[in-house]
Amino acid sequence: MESKLFTISQAAEMLGVSIQTLRRWDDSHKLCPIRKKKTGNRYYRKDNIDEFIKSNSKDLFILAKSWAASESEIKLPSIFYCQDISVFQARLSRLERDLGEIQRLKKMYPLISAITGEIGNNSFDHNLGNWPDTLGIFFAYDLSKGKVILADRGQGILTTLKRVKPELLTHQDALRVAFTEIISGRAPEYRGNGLKFVRNVIAANQISLFFQTGDAQLRIAENSPDLKIGKSNICLRGCLVSIKF
Amino acid sequence: MIISFKKFGTTLNGRQFGRESFSAFNSSLKNIGKDENVIVDFGGVVTFTPSWGDEFLNPLVSKFGKRLTLKNTKNPSVQASLKILEEVYKKKFKIQN
Repeated sequence: MESKLFTISQAAEMLGVSIQTLRRWDDSHKLCPIRKKKTGNRYYRKDNIDEFIKSNSKDLFILAKSWAASESEIKLPSIFYCQDISVFQARLSRLERDLGEIQRLKKMYPLISAITGEIGNNSFDHNLGNWPDTLGIFFAYDLSKGKVILADRGQGILTTLKRVKPELLTHQDALRVAFTEIISGRAPEYRGNGLKFVRNVIAANQISLFFQTGDAQLRIAENSPDLKIGKSNICLRGCLVSIKF
Repeated sequence: MIISFKKFGTTLNGRQFGRESFSAFNSSLKNIGKDENVIVDFGGVVTFTPSWGDEFLNPLVSKFGKRLTLKNTKNPSVQASLKILEEVYKKKFKIQN
């Protein structure tokens, strides 16, 4: 099937670079466009752009981390960026489909999809109308490595959880509460119990988790309910998550 | 009445989507008789999360109490989500095998 064609400005948007950079990449043959006429405008095939992004984003986690930790807003390639929940929902359905085709995950894949959905959904629910700068989340996966990465530049767990638990002081405490305590007084903060769900799923399956918010880092090993919470030198305002399976 | 969740999609995730699904269906609940049982059928659902489930099941639990039964709950994401919702509601769901 013929791949959709994008103009240079659309391609720049998808790749998160400037038009000038794309012109330079054309001159150096790093990413070659197609031209309908010899001296005409540059066009880019969607397949080529997606392939270029994937092969130049060897470590999705580092890309997500640098985006989440950056002082100023950084443009993300559009294939990793979900501006709103409907985009996330559509890509989650695609993840569900892709996971379902992997034989070794035949029984477990609805759980991977569910914990990914719950974590991504948390980002939207807790930041709706309150995003400090960039709306939405980073969401990418590499099934050959058994990895899903999510990140946001939201308010982080401590800020949102303080609305129902004002006594919380540190990111470490907030992270522990989010993963262990059932929050029953929901209003005014509609924080669900999604992260307790995530922990329960990991405790019974070959899935591991890394979760950072603020300067707090949490690790849960596969088939284990134990939370290892430490401190990072880098402080993220929002959240950064890696799910491995 | 049988409420078939797969009619809302196979990926049931998120509070917003859960709320929208429930409010779209809410008018159909008015036709349920005073003594009629309500069965929620999970058959065909692939991904089910507590956030979507809470938005839909919480009002059903409040409204129908013991008249509510769940069936086809073998999917692991359905089982894991129902488990956490039972903890939150401090109630056991009635499951039809």
